[in-house]
Amino acid sequence: MASHEPRFRVRFTWVHGAALLIAAFVAAPLYWMAVSSLKPQDEIGANPPTVWPDHATLANYRDAFVENNFGVYLLNSAVVSVTATILVLGLSTFAGYALARLPLRGKAPVMISLLMISLFPTIALAAPLFLLMRDLGWLNSYQGLIIVYAALNVPFAVWILRNFFLGIPKEMEEVAWVDGASPLRTVLTIIIPQAAPGVFTAAIFTFTACWTEFLIALTLNTADRFRTMPVGLALFGSQFTVPYGTIFAAATVSVLPIALLVLVFRRAVVSGLTSGAVKG
Amino acid sequence: MSDDLPEGAPPAGGPPPDDAGTPSYVPRGDTAGGVRGSTAATAAPPGGEGGRLRRAGRHQSLLERRFARMGWFFAAPALVVVLAVTLFPIGFSVAMSLSDVTVSSNGFHLSGVTTDNYTLLLGSARWQHALAFTVLYTVGTVVAELVLGTLIALVLERLSGSRGWMMALLLLPWAMITVVSAQLWAYMYNGVYGVLTAVSEGLTGEARQFLGTPGPAILSMAAADVWKTTPFVAIIVLAGLMMLPKDVVEAAKVDGAGAWTAFWRVRLPLLRPALVIAVLFRILQAFGIFDLPFVLTGGGPGNATESLALLGWQVMFTNLDFGPGAAVAASTAGLVLVGCLLFLRAFKARVGDEESTA
Repeated sequence: MASHEPRFRVRFTWVHGAALLIAAFVAAPLYWMAVSSLKPQDEIGANPPTVWPDHATLANYRDAFVENNFGVYLLNSAVVSVTATILVLGLSTFAGYALARLPLRGKAPVMISLLMISLFPTIALAAPLFLLMRDLGWLNSYQGLIIVYAALNVPFAVWILRNFFLGIPKEMEEVAWVDGASPLRTVLTIIIPQAAPGVFTAAIFTFTACWTEFLIALTLNTADRFRTMPVGLALFGSQFTVPYGTIFAAATVSVLPIALLVLVFRRAVVSGLTSGAVKG
Repeated sequence: MSDDLPEGAPPAGGPPPDDAGTPSYVPRGDTAGGVRGSTAATAAPPGGEGGRLRRAGRHQSLLERRFARMGWFFAAPALVVVLAVTLFPIGFSVAMSLSDVTVSSNGFHLSGVTTDNYTLLLGSARWQHALAFTVLYTVGTVVAELVLGTLIALVLERLSGSRGWMMALLLLPWAMITVVSAQLWAYMYNGVYGVLTAVSEGLTGEARQFLGTPGPAILSMAAADVWKTTPFVAIIVLAGLMMLPKDVVEAAKVDGAGAWTAFWRVRLPLLRPALVIAVLFRILQAFGIFDLPFVLTGGGPGNATESLALLGWQVMFTNLDFGPGAAVAASTAGLVLVGCLLFLRAFKARVGDEESTA
């Protein structure tokens, strides 16, 4: 509720000054990206650079989508990320529940292995996965990337969901068990409805990770038609000039979905970030 | 743990604690009063106390066994997918690194068992440099991010009104595609028209070449990394700060500790679990760094910013030397694992054990 103190009583302290500095430090490059995406080609290379474009234009956006294949990259990233996220949630909700609540032996080793795997350097997987996908005929496909992304993100999603399930009061499940409900029924009727926020947090993390992944996508999907956005953005342009205007137009578009997710669901993201950290 | 699941007193007249399919554990003639309240039961144990305890144990183990079966059934699909896509390739990577790999149109052919690939690695100046760079880069960025992130978290903790927006802003670089931030920094560092070049010229009178020489290139790449991931550390530390018990800090103040002492001696030690995980995540990420040097510097100038992951990828997919490349990749993964285990050991962190600490 509104405070009774009038607004002008709020004093500007060193904390506000420091916060402004931090905000500027974080926001300045983002500002530069967005502004540069509006600059015509000659102004992109202007020396000294202009803080606001003299002739703001949307030509770079048109270039990215029409002249370059940016729309294709965007679609590829969306298909792969969304499908992988759904797959991860399906697998991790049950696994997370089992590891949180059901009496399994060896939970701790399983959880530690999952944490290790979730942050394993993907370079060690690149060549064997390349071979595997080649033998399956899944290089330059959606399914190849989807299955790999799903597997790489299940571990962290299980961590998030397990920590979330540990925070749900046990009583409702216990009543269900005593009433003779099977674990499957308990999960479907009691846990899943309560788990929405946790599932949502895991979804944001998985989606973000798939959306930004580079190494595996670079290795498995080399054909232009199947490139994801990070790969497309890294390989944009000719050998001699880097078309920064076009890149930043594309980059600004690529940041938007994530920015929207983060801004709207800030709480879920923060709780996900910290569920691994603070409780461990 | 789950050993407290069905124990205790179910409500009087409540249903039997297990389904009708397995009633054998319920002693005959004991069904009326037996399950009601453990105090009443121990007061008049028909089979002695030992019998009752044993029955309670068996009762749990039956339920537990049934639930454990379901548990593995729940967990198996996830674990199978993870193992198939990670463990098998890791094994294959190690196998490749230990044999002669020939590539033909029919695929890869592994022959013999040899340590040649690793011998080649150890003697290679390029690998030694990549190793030194990766270790230095990891330590440098993680320390910088930890210090800066903690400072930012301390500022944000004091900021009451607009903290939400600040946190949203801080999440943006972290959630950004690394390739995008690499392109952005490459543009800002550009020697001719980069904004940072112009700013440095305005401040010092000379145009600085950020990416042209090894030393500045390494620092510039580290700065781009610090910009992207310090906010992540700050948010984890902030969450840790907000979960600290208030009374402990208050008590320290009552005991005459200044703000600095209270932070250094009381709050920082309590923050350790949060910091350990944040640092662990960052070490793992920084050690495997690939996309930032790939886009920002291409590993250059020379091989100055070539990380182990970038080297491994280039040896495998540019030079098509899969044996030595696999040796680079496998040794990178091995070093990460050993480093993390040592780190966890040094800080006595108990990961995966939070039921006892939560």
